[in-house]
Amino acid sequence: MISQTVPMVGEEFVMGYRKQSVWSKWIALAFFFGKVGSGMFILAVLLNTPLIALAGLVIENVGKGGALLIHLGRPARFWRAMTRPQSSWISRTVWVMGIFTVIGLIYLVLPAGSPAWQIFKVLALVSAVVVAITDGFVMNDSPAIPLWNTPMLPFLFLFYSLLGGTSVFFFLVHGGWASITPLVDLETLETALIIINLIGVAIYLGSMVNATATARESLRLLIKGPYSGMFFGFVVAIGFILTLVLTLFLGASGGTLVVGLITLADLIGHFFIFYLLLMVGVYSPVLGKLTI
Amino acid sequence: MARYGMVIDLKRCVGCNACTVACKAENGTPPGIFFTKVLEQVAGQYPIVKKKYVPVLCNHCLNAPCVRVCPSGATHKREDGIVLVDYNKCIGCKACVVACPYKNRELMPEGKLKEGHFKGYLTPFEQVKYKKFQEGVVVKCTFCSERVDQGLEPSCVNTCPAEARVFGDLHDPESKVSRLIRQRGGIQPMSEANTDPSVYYIE
Repeated sequence: MISQTVPMVGEEFVMGYRKQSVWSKWIALAFFFGKVGSGMFILAVLLNTPLIALAGLVIENVGKGGALLIHLGRPARFWRAMTRPQSSWISRTVWVMGIFTVIGLIYLVLPAGSPAWQIFKVLALVSAVVVAITDGFVMNDSPAIPLWNTPMLPFLFLFYSLLGGTSVFFFLVHGGWASITPLVDLETLETALIIINLIGVAIYLGSMVNATATARESLRLLIKGPYSGMFFGFVVAIGFILTLVLTLFLGASGGTLVVGLITLADLIGHFFIFYLLLMVGVYSPVLGKLTI
Repeated sequence: MARYGMVIDLKRCVGCNACTVACKAENGTPPGIFFTKVLEQVAGQYPIVKKKYVPVLCNHCLNAPCVRVCPSGATHKREDGIVLVDYNKCIGCKACVVACPYKNRELMPEGKLKEGHFKGYLTPFEQVKYKKFQEGVVVKCTFCSERVDQGLEPSCVNTCPAEARVFGDLHDPESKVSRLIRQRGGIQPMSEANTDPSVYYIE
């Protein structure tokens, strides 16, 4: 039986793997702001810094909301995205963002320490975690793209959210723009989260080795194909190795410039992992591989 | 209730793309937007080479992922199984484009309806046909629902010179599509996606 390797094709009339191209930078940016905003909010609630929590809410709504609006072909009809939460994860995401914003604002205006404040603190934390993971469900809901169709994505999104929030927090605290009441070693937390995310990404991509041929094609594009430079440069070298080395060997003792560099490097890696996962989403050929 | 479907005989398809052209003529889609097309696939090495033509279009799936993921309800399914997009409800989030395992949906980009085939000049045909489209929304094959409602076959089926495309009611066991599926073992594209397409291929 002779068969031919299935080619990667564009819009030409040839059977082969096809790359998705409609979800790109704006969705990646929405994921990025969504993760950083919810991560900052979670950390801020746990460490009692209401101003940072407010900043997290603003990043979530303005950053993620703005990017999503720009992405829409008909932004004036954005409200229609709320009409089908019973089946659509995009619709659920919009609802979750709204609920998170309302609960977050109520938590921030209530007098600290009151019974209602305690309840809303828990609700705010839960809603922020839900916001962090729902984007993972949006991607995983797509049966067409095997790379995304895995339950690992929501977990990966949650840990990226915590890492992004911690990185920004680390910088703000070290720069003197925020002070935290409980003594938490943000440097250790940052290191632990970088390692957890590194392991998470490795397991996620490793699981694709034994997945379908289409998932392996996505993986090939990411680590050997046209996106490998961006992946190894921005995600691995800058996002993981540089942040890990700087945090382990210099960290807070290196001064605000080093901490700022750690935060910047982490955020660069953060954006590019989402962007690249979107860009290497590949569809299977309609009737599989032709054999003779 | 009928469930409309199509059977495509790959042994009959000669790859002439008459269906592609007939679809464009019927729907008046702008350049670069195809509701149906014929993909070619080649395998083997000289002298043992096989070439196959695979016409593709929206499969009007029973468990359509595009209907499930649509956040606005713009993508909906009629009782007869035809999946349509309500352009007035579509917000252009492209979730359906991403969710369709067959990649048979396309976005009508901004400026596409003003540009036309002649870069800025719209022919009278284009002026009429483009009226039903909107920019920034997702478009796809409608199984020529307006023709089907009048008792006609979709344009691609009507045009096919090799009779490679057969249209009919999948719920009627005596319809030509049902008999072809039964007798020649019709296969659904990418059945592992669990979408239950209404388009079958026979070889």
